[in-house]
Amino acid sequence: MVKLEDLKKEATQILKSGKVKYIIGYAKGAAGFMPIPAFISDPEDAENLTWNPACVHNLTKFIVDEKKRLKKEKKPDNRPIGIIVKGCDSRAINVLLQEKYIDRDDVYLLGVSCEKTGVVDEKKLAKTLKGQRVVQIDFEDNGNFLVTTESGSEKIPAEDVLAERCIECKANFPVVFDIVFGEKIKRQVDKPFQSVETIEALSQKDRWKFWKEQLDKCIRCYACRSVCPMCYCDECVVDTISFAVEPDTSAEEKAQKIKWIEKSPNLSENIVYHLTRAMHLAGRCIDCGECERVCPLDIPIRFLNKKMEKDAKNFFDYEVGFDPDQPSLVSSFKDEDPEDFIR
Amino acid sequence: MEKILQKKSFPKWVEKLDAYEIYSPVKKDNTWSYEIINTPGDIELDYPNAVQAPKKIINPQREVVLEFGRSDDDSLEVTEVLPEEKSVVIFGVRPCDAKALTLTDLVFSGDIKDNYYGKRRKQTAIIGLACNTPPSPNCFCTSVDGSPHSEDGFDILLTDLGDRYFVKSLTNKGNNLINLGKGLFVAPKANEKKEIAKIHADAEKKLKRQVNDAEKIPPKLKEMFESPFWDEESMSCLRCGICTYLCPTCHCFDISDEVTSVAPFKGYRIRTWDNCQFPDFTMHSSGHNPRPDKASRLRQRIMHKYQYFVECYDHYQCTGCGRCVSKCPVGIDIIEVLNKVRDYG
Repeated sequence: MVKLEDLKKEATQILKSGKVKYIIGYAKGAAGFMPIPAFISDPEDAENLTWNPACVHNLTKFIVDEKKRLKKEKKPDNRPIGIIVKGCDSRAINVLLQEKYIDRDDVYLLGVSCEKTGVVDEKKLAKTLKGQRVVQIDFEDNGNFLVTTESGSEKIPAEDVLAERCIECKANFPVVFDIVFGEKIKRQVDKPFQSVETIEALSQKDRWKFWKEQLDKCIRCYACRSVCPMCYCDECVVDTISFAVEPDTSAEEKAQKIKWIEKSPNLSENIVYHLTRAMHLAGRCIDCGECERVCPLDIPIRFLNKKMEKDAKNFFDYEVGFDPDQPSLVSSFKDEDPEDFIR
Repeated sequence: MEKILQKKSFPKWVEKLDAYEIYSPVKKDNTWSYEIINTPGDIELDYPNAVQAPKKIINPQREVVLEFGRSDDDSLEVTEVLPEEKSVVIFGVRPCDAKALTLTDLVFSGDIKDNYYGKRRKQTAIIGLACNTPPSPNCFCTSVDGSPHSEDGFDILLTDLGDRYFVKSLTNKGNNLINLGKGLFVAPKANEKKEIAKIHADAEKKLKRQVNDAEKIPPKLKEMFESPFWDEESMSCLRCGICTYLCPTCHCFDISDEVTSVAPFKGYRIRTWDNCQFPDFTMHSSGHNPRPDKASRLRQRIMHKYQYFVECYDHYQCTGCGRCVSKCPVGIDIIEVLNKVRDYG
């Protein structure tokens, strides 16, 4: 088991020694049992760190902010930032390294092992507890979670409330880290694509009906994009205006911003948005599942990314985020690559 | 007008409203949303609150305001498009969301009249449902001049009494709806009135979250424009639009032209919701962005709701529904932010 005390000790130490500029970890939130991302620069505040099955967030997303801040600083402090990474989050680091978005020295990785379980799906938990308010959730031995509600504590088998992505996870132990907490436990994943296979099993007509209903709900809050560690572009296809505009950009250049996707949140535009995002994540998505978790309308976005992941595996034997030195899926070619889908 | 309606008579009343387009909370997948219903049986009033406030009906996210196109003689034709005229009833609206409409009225039906909003508002009757228990663990309506049984913005307010509803009509629109169900409603007895008073008083005590002394916040905020506070509070913000799009009081919009066909040339001018949390909201054509980072955008959200709006209209532009707290992907908690602002410095 991950010993929180060890994690706090290491955090305090690296902050004290000045090895890292600050640490991004998890801390208790004000509302409910869900932790919140915490940015800790004072060694004394390392005491606030927490680690439990509700630590769902992929904190690597905040690297984008750090890079933006560095750009603005006159005398940038180039020390690494400490980030707590689960297995899935660490795969994101590998993709960012592979894409040369970050250098390995930019981050000091405090890996945490999910061991036999993973993180909780809030909705599944609410269903299991039939409306009882959760106060705290903790890891227990033997693949159980200890859930404390307003009326007492109970042990729940983790598999009943685990996030779907954790059930299909191939990285319960960080794949890249500077220091790691918890044990490396081999976990068999027999059906890594079982969730998306339920959608694939539908007829084309039913699939179309399913996606029409789901994507019609989208209100284009772009939370799925905002939370994604791979969505780090300065300018996105859905943005209405060009962010590359500088004071000396000519009027003509400004006018030439192509509108790929209209602002209307109707089905056709929503489909273009979500399919574009899925394609841009092909060979890049590490299945942290954050896009789906944050969607306020419960759109099962993860299916789209999982389908890309499955195709990458089946057609090109490509897996994302395990090797920062492998050539990327879409920019590399092998003689044995299949071509039969090109028509 | 105060009445009692047996729950078993409720569908019969709804049947009498067949001249209206009826919206009700409906459970779709795992979430509640306001949808048009076809039979009275589809109305579900035993529910927490919808993810999206009924603002999406009165002030829809996308609205066509003009149609344009070239006619046969190559002249440009522009036609104004106004909302379809119809009578609408929305059932099951929570007091926070109805109060939010009264706040949006101040903006869209004040000195400057917005025809689109105004028309929809006028043709829609709002039938509320008092909150006997808080629909969300993050409800804090009582901190911002609201209450779980507030009557603001309603034509009729229902309170659940187990096997019947206590029905209070607050406007002529409401009276008319009740008159359509003549014979179904009876006058409340004295003990039922007592019961109502108790339920309402108890409901207020059940709220778990609070912003005490909220009146201290607007003047405090006035001094905090340049404060480093916003940098700290916005560290975990992802720049998504959940808080504002789900907010029942946010009403900012954008106007754009969408060409649907090049030959023959035609298209629409549309109005869509816009979002102060997006970087393009304030981006100037010069390339300058007066709100260049997430700190300035979080500040804007708080300032607008608890300072500028208070200064302009003497109301908070927040009704304490708690949606932005519950749905924020990183747990930015407006209640906490406000408590910190109040105690700042």
